[in-house]
Amino acid sequence: MKRSNEPIIWLLFGAGGMLSALVGPVLVLITGLLVPLGILPKDSMSYQRVLAFLQNPLGKLALLAVISLFLFHGVHRLVTTLNDYGLRGGHATMTVFIGFAALLTAVTAGLLLGIGF
Amino acid sequence: MGRHQAVAKTYRRTRPVDWGRSVHRRRYMRRELTSVFLIAYALVLLSGLWRLSQGEAAFDAWRAAMSHPLALVGHAVIFVAALYQTISWFQVMPRTLPDSQIRPASITRAGWAAAAVASVLVLALFIVGGAK
Repeated sequence: MKRSNEPIIWLLFGAGGMLSALVGPVLVLITGLLVPLGILPKDSMSYQRVLAFLQNPLGKLALLAVISLFLFHGVHRLVTTLNDYGLRGGHATMTVFIGFAALLTAVTAGLLLGIGF
Repeated sequence: MGRHQAVAKTYRRTRPVDWGRSVHRRRYMRRELTSVFLIAYALVLLSGLWRLSQGEAAFDAWRAAMSHPLALVGHAVIFVAALYQTISWFQVMPRTLPDSQIRPASITRAGWAAAAVASVLVLALFIVGGAK
């Protein structure tokens, strides 16, 4: 019997939901509003500082977790909602969208490795 | 649908005809729509990482774009959606734990408290790190 991949998908969905619920607002507030507006020093997201953060393995892991899990959570929820609204071929759509999240996760990991340690 | 056409096995619940106007539907839609904004935010961060990998000039251009009024408005909308995600995620959580001995309202409040603590922690780490 073919094993279902649903538990893995659901784990990623749940982890993304929890992570976004815990730190989503504060991250958007910092990177999208407080720093661009200069309420927090603009230099706190300077090239040197962000690079140093992302050359640290923990920094890499943090950004990978945020990007990847937000994507997995988002696409899972999006497809589930579309399905509720009568979208045909839910399984195929889910595969495409999950594949999209997986692809962008690989891209993120590749870029993070590319900037070195 | 044709006789020989493949039918998706996905379960589709039938809805009452007035579901479209129901307040529950609207609440549900609002909650689920937050997912689009979470995806958008992930893509913004990924684009920043991509520009960072191209060097300082590219990353500075990305930072300048983040200060554009449209980007600020976009982030304000994403922030509201993210806040709504935090609130509703923990409101729904008790229903995913039907056997819990803890009162539903307590689970929700504990979740909100955890989010508040995590937020203060992230902000503090960001500010302390920036002082170095």
